[in-house]
Amino acid sequence: MSDPSPILRISALTKTFDDFTALHGIDLDVAEGEFLAIVGPSGSGKTTLIRLLVGMDDPTEGAIWLRDQRIDVIPANKRPTCMVFQSLALFPHRTVGQNIEFPLKLRGVAAKARKERALELLDLLRLPRDYYSKRIQQCSGGEKQRVALARALAFDPEILFFDEPLSALDYRLRKTLEKELKDLHRRTGKTFIYITHSLEEAMVMSDRIAIMRAGRFEQIAPAEEIYARPVSPFVAEFMGEVNFLSLAGGAVAGAELSPAAQAALAGQSGTLVIRPESLRLAPEAAGLILTGTVAAEYLLGSRVQYRIDSPAGELTVEVLREDAVAGVGAPVSLGCDISAVHVIAEAEDAAA
Amino acid sequence: MKTSRLASALLLAYGIAILAFLYLPLVSVGLASVSKARYLSFPIRRYNTDWYGEALASDTVRDLLWISLKVAGIVTASSMVIGFLGALAFARYSWRFRKPFQKLILLPIFFPQTVLGLALLMWFNALGIVPSWKTAIVAHLVWIAPIATLIVSIRAFSFDPALEEAARDMGATQWQVLREVTIPLLMPGVVSAGLFAFLLSWGNFPLSLFTTGADSTLPEWLFAKMISGYSPLVPTVGVLTVAGSAILVAAGLILAWALKRLRPTT
Repeated sequence: MSDPSPILRISALTKTFDDFTALHGIDLDVAEGEFLAIVGPSGSGKTTLIRLLVGMDDPTEGAIWLRDQRIDVIPANKRPTCMVFQSLALFPHRTVGQNIEFPLKLRGVAAKARKERALELLDLLRLPRDYYSKRIQQCSGGEKQRVALARALAFDPEILFFDEPLSALDYRLRKTLEKELKDLHRRTGKTFIYITHSLEEAMVMSDRIAIMRAGRFEQIAPAEEIYARPVSPFVAEFMGEVNFLSLAGGAVAGAELSPAAQAALAGQSGTLVIRPESLRLAPEAAGLILTGTVAAEYLLGSRVQYRIDSPAGELTVEVLREDAVAGVGAPVSLGCDISAVHVIAEAEDAAA
Repeated sequence: MKTSRLASALLLAYGIAILAFLYLPLVSVGLASVSKARYLSFPIRRYNTDWYGEALASDTVRDLLWISLKVAGIVTASSMVIGFLGALAFARYSWRFRKPFQKLILLPIFFPQTVLGLALLMWFNALGIVPSWKTAIVAHLVWIAPIATLIVSIRAFSFDPALEEAARDMGATQWQVLREVTIPLLMPGVVSAGLFAFLLSWGNFPLSLFTTGADSTLPEWLFAKMISGYSPLVPTVGVLTVAGSAILVAAGLILAWALKRLRPTT
């Protein structure tokens, strides 16, 4: 990162459990006010990482810095950070108000000031003020989510961590809360670090996405960059549907190249990454030219997706509905602009 | 699916028959206690409640009540503490010997109580301790504390560990986590464990028989009088014993209800 003074700096963080290494000496800088999403499949180490960051586990090696303070040596209850748990961890034996006030009570804030702050937070989270005396069990899923956020914000932590807090909710509510969370981030200006296995969630909300795999960061970049220029087939695949073609010495097996494409790919070897929407079904194909037959057709609302058998392997193509072509069994030719093709060079590929 | 009228009537009759089978013997004890006759025989020809007056006035009965109450009271209080701590070790925290602990704690429950009573008596003798109501407390605890632990453990298992972690994350010390989260959330389990502990101790016969020495609890006395010296005082004391448990259960239920009602607003 170019930011001279990150709010959070992780350096050479390693965590081993018996003979299993969950984190392999990872580094990360997070800028003040950033919304960073850490995405990875289960077992990639993201939960281990967040547990180290909040202090529920101790790192085996490495350090965590919050501005100038080394925090990995500080117990969890003394760290100026707060986490929203996957289960939300709202206290069932306390009211909404008491839940929100809990961190303030621990810090010896007077009852009157506590209540004022709790009501302020209810306003911020757009919950009616009379929820103050409601019981947790009387709240809906989305309301509980907001109470958990209010509680996490109550003592004004430096960084808010989120451990997949939306994963248990239904699709529509999740979509609403994603937008609310992003909006909350904007309004509070706090640093949010959000763990999820859902890339969609990460793309909607975050400024940057860190993709984790097997205890390492595979790529850390804004969503568009990860989408357009993945560093490895793993990242490319993780970011949605993708076509891989093998590139050897500037030639693509099963495909013809236009002169411009030949020039662009000359001498390169590795993997070609092409998004389904970058492929066009057109008779006068240009750039990268492929042929094949339609094996299957799926309607995706405003778009149509085709599976196409071609000499280069099975291809996935997505076009707008008005550009739909003949159905299953029809021969087609496909083209792809060379600018929409991303090359993962062999060396990088091997490292991943 | 809708059950037919006949089927549900049969089901109801069956239920009533089972309840009658279970509870009529208890009713007969109640009836025997109000009989004027010296020996139990049905039908009862003349009723009176003289035996209740006699029971309440009797020093023997008062001593019996007091000893049973002392034993059950101390067993209850100890079981609640042991059950709470035991459940944390059983269900909440991972530690080295957790697995063996979980198995060992069940052992006293599987022992027939008579064998357990005998073993404890021999143990007290070996240690040179004279059996009395105090040794009975130890004997009861050997059997009841594991049960209390299991009851609190059920509660502890249904408890989201993230609640404690969240409290800690928000700035609570270990002690504050215990006071603000763990204890209040396990409290309903501890209260029911206490109720069970009292009832099991109050009505316990085999362990008391072996370990009270010269002292006697209510169930022991009832048995002794049944063997020799029956009078309607026996069923009368029996009914008083049941009344004692009933009062406690009612108090416990009211307490649990009050805890549930009051907590969120305090």
